[in-house]
Amino acid sequence: MSDHGGPAHGLAARVRHVEALLEQRGLVDATELDRALAAFLARASPANGARVVARAWLDEGFRARLLADANAALPELGLSMGGGIQEQRLKVVANTETTHNVVVCTLCSCYPIALLGPSPTWYKSESYRSRVVRDPRGVLLEFGCTLSPDVEISVWDATAESRYMVLPRRPAGTLGHSEAELAALVTRNGLIGVAAV
Amino acid sequence: MTERFRPGDRVLTSRADPVHHTRLPRYARGAAGTVVELEGRYPLPDDRSRALPAEPQPVYAVQFPAVELFGADDHQVTLALWESYLRPLSEEATRGE
Amino acid sequence: MSRINDVGGMEGFPLAGQELNEPPFHADWEAHVFAMNAALIQRGCYNLDEFRDAIERMPPQEYLAASYYERWFHAITALLVDKGVLTVQEVSGD
Repeated sequence: MSDHGGPAHGLAARVRHVEALLEQRGLVDATELDRALAAFLARASPANGARVVARAWLDEGFRARLLADANAALPELGLSMGGGIQEQRLKVVANTETTHNVVVCTLCSCYPIALLGPSPTWYKSESYRSRVVRDPRGVLLEFGCTLSPDVEISVWDATAESRYMVLPRRPAGTLGHSEAELAALVTRNGLIGVAAV
Repeated sequence: MTERFRPGDRVLTSRADPVHHTRLPRYARGAAGTVVELEGRYPLPDDRSRALPAEPQPVYAVQFPAVELFGADDHQVTLALWESYLRPLSEEATRGE
Repeated sequence: MSRINDVGGMEGFPLAGQELNEPPFHADWEAHVFAMNAALIQRGCYNLDEFRDAIERMPPQEYLAASYYERWFHAITALLVDKGVLTVQEVSGD
């Protein structure tokens, strides 16, 4: 049950209490928990997604391999969807001139955290989860993303074991950009699909 | 086990209202869609959540037009659905649409 | 019967704003809940589907009032009690 008015303090104490009990029972190890957390945060972040996108923009072969089997392509960049409870299947969906993709998990908040780290709070909200399957164009507009009426929107609801990531279109005027410069253009919102890039 | 459906197949989702955990959202019940691809084989969450034995079964990405789900709008929604949630959409059911 | 988490297409939820430069976790306890859940699942105390089920079975008013990791913590403690790992008294700190 949530507390309000000193919620974090009460809850923090309760979490520590349960963790201590579990440690006493030998079910968790606090040092191991800290280590696993630090390792996860060090390896998983939106920057990984940005690198994948930049490489796909520059290398047609990589792009094709990424779209065909993302899990097999990630190791080419030293990345993976492993390290968590189990390795999850990543499906990368490419935006085109006629299709714009956007990702959601209406039932909870499934997201490719092994690659990108934790999802943003808004992604987990009832508001986003309820509305983007019903009115994606309206939701995108609220995020500042206006699409031409000829562009069809394709919403992906992560209801099973696959985790989805959008491959945005390469922005115009970026010829000659280095891979790092291209990666710097890619936002987390673009990888979810609520922004153009 | 061999999968029942292939990309391009037309399928209909279950209309059932389960009393247990499931991964077929209410908005996609009783809807006609098209199989996009086989995503893999995984044990059914409906059973796993109740500690029932669950052998892996095919999971498909299935695409639905918004108008099929909500009666309006021009976008598509693709869901990842266990084979247990799906049955073939018969020709008879589509005749007269 | 659909649970409160099954919100696709539902109306009326207040808009969630974007937080600039949002950190991965907003408090240590959130990170610990995240890590504890992974450890318990890896240990086989419960599985991911049981975990999701436990969140979904929260009474709707509690589910909606709870923050994301509060829901996780509720599910973890409910499962630990269900599985006989901890007692209700132990969880509540009595």
